[in-house]
Amino acid sequence: MMHRFCLAILFFAAVGVMPAAFAQSAAQPPLISVVKKGADKNTVSLSGLQASGPYGQLFVKTLTRDLELSGWFKVAPSGAVTVKGSVADAGSGVQSACRVEWPGKAFNWARTSLGQAEVRRQAHQLADEMVKLIAGEVGIAQTRIVFVNRRGRNNADLYVCDADGQNVMQVTHDNVAVVGPRWAPNGRDIYYTSFLKGYPAVYRMAVGAERKALAAFKGLNTGAAISPDGSRAAIILSYQGNPELYVLTLSGGNLTRLTQTPHGSEASPCWSPDGRSIVYVSDVDRTPQLYLVDVATRRSRRLTYKGSENVNPDWHAKGGIVYATKRSGGYQIAVLNPQEGERSATMVTQPGTYEHPSWAANGRHVVCSNRGALYILDTLGDPAVRLINIAGNWMSPDWSER
Amino acid sequence: MHIRSVVFVNVAMASLLLLAAGCRMPWSKRGGAGGAGAGGGLGLDDPTLLETTDIPSVYDNMGGLVSGARFEDTLAPVQGVTFAPVYFAFDSYALAPSEVAKIEQVAMHLQQNANHVLVVEGHCDERGSNEYNLSLGENRAISVRTRLVELGVLGDRIQTRSYGEEKPAVMGSGEEVWRLNRRGEFALFQK
Repeated sequence: MMHRFCLAILFFAAVGVMPAAFAQSAAQPPLISVVKKGADKNTVSLSGLQASGPYGQLFVKTLTRDLELSGWFKVAPSGAVTVKGSVADAGSGVQSACRVEWPGKAFNWARTSLGQAEVRRQAHQLADEMVKLIAGEVGIAQTRIVFVNRRGRNNADLYVCDADGQNVMQVTHDNVAVVGPRWAPNGRDIYYTSFLKGYPAVYRMAVGAERKALAAFKGLNTGAAISPDGSRAAIILSYQGNPELYVLTLSGGNLTRLTQTPHGSEASPCWSPDGRSIVYVSDVDRTPQLYLVDVATRRSRRLTYKGSENVNPDWHAKGGIVYATKRSGGYQIAVLNPQEGERSATMVTQPGTYEHPSWAANGRHVVCSNRGALYILDTLGDPAVRLINIAGNWMSPDWSER
Repeated sequence: MHIRSVVFVNVAMASLLLLAAGCRMPWSKRGGAGGAGAGGGLGLDDPTLLETTDIPSVYDNMGGLVSGARFEDTLAPVQGVTFAPVYFAFDSYALAPSEVAKIEQVAMHLQQNANHVLVVEGHCDERGSNEYNLSLGENRAISVRTRLVELGVLGDRIQTRSYGEEKPAVMGSGEEVWRLNRRGEFALFQK
């Protein structure tokens, strides 16, 4: 109760700085117009944080951007939340000794971190801790995004970056077409479709393990999405005739077929948070639309009717189903509540070329692609942020759940 | 190796059961998207149709992946023989009458070269979702394969692979580029 009371005070305090927040957002390039209004912010001051040397400054810079990207904080010269103490450069890393204070509460933060990656990781940890304790929300600073860089005709590789768009790393070196990478719920393994051997097969890349083929049947193998409990993969296979949706048990290798559409193309399966249903794309009624199948009964029902295409669904317990919808000629990102169906759909972007949305772990932010660039959208209305500024043809992002 | 064959016998049995149950398999139906109206929603409301399609495991006893023998893995490509691509309408995998003669050429070649086998490659234009296009491209390849089988080529001599929108014939945008990219291509392999 006390915690909530404090939060209420904070939000009232934050209202005072909202005009300033909007003034800043107006200066952003108008790449994406968000329909809803911006969200409330806690003001946070880092001016009492003494940072020395390049690593100390890296820590503060990373923390600042994480807090802004969290959607719950506005970093300002003075604020209701203060971070004080020191982040001292200690050889090839930092020694941090901080205290985070907000009305009636405080916590201490002390770490030693070596190397640039570790310094950044610890800044992400502190940001997530502040989001959790002060805003009472799930932090996303420690999550990562996997995506495709398509260089040219049939030449692509997978890349991974942190949620702040930094630490961009190339994770495959195959230089062949690669489609639809997805994180497993553990936030470590990546499943994807690659033409490594000249045909589409599903592979798993796990930290510290060899890359493994998960499905390489005759015909199409694609779309592997791992169930919330990590035990099963929803997968698109055509070895029995034409593309259909299957569930593959990862331990035993049992396959169960969930669709029967000799004239349909199925794609992009995604599990419900409770693991009981799968939302997927099918053109069985001519245009690609979203369908929902109950895994136990294998009964499918159509979820979307508006728009000539509804594709790339991603389902989050809090956020609902985010997807790309094609209406009056352009693709835009929409969110619907699966309990209420399509009538609950709200647009997150204007019509344009926005594709392939994927939820952040907080069920609030969404990463999507737009003309070879990646953007972070805020379903509560903050302006869109460009994820990475490195030249490339970036597409098909998937945001890890942890 | 022994385990592998057992699994595939099971798959074959399951397919036979399906056919015996009177279930329409895609290769038993002429056309492609032309019949999509009639086929729309087929089976979606009847989960019992799906019961016989389960297979015991995709892994063998050694934990290896059991999968079909793909021509690309074991056979050498045939050099110097090319066929004209088959073109498709937007968001469709129906074969246009203008394209059928091209497929007949391929059928004739396969009938005259018993040691050749074929991979039909399905492609899409750049519009739409990459993942959906992968599935659509597979149905395009299957349409061509179906027609080849109707022309008398044995089904096990033809495999499919979809590149979706990932391997355009022509880079760029616009109606003419898109038209040239919505296609089926042919890759011969030698036994």
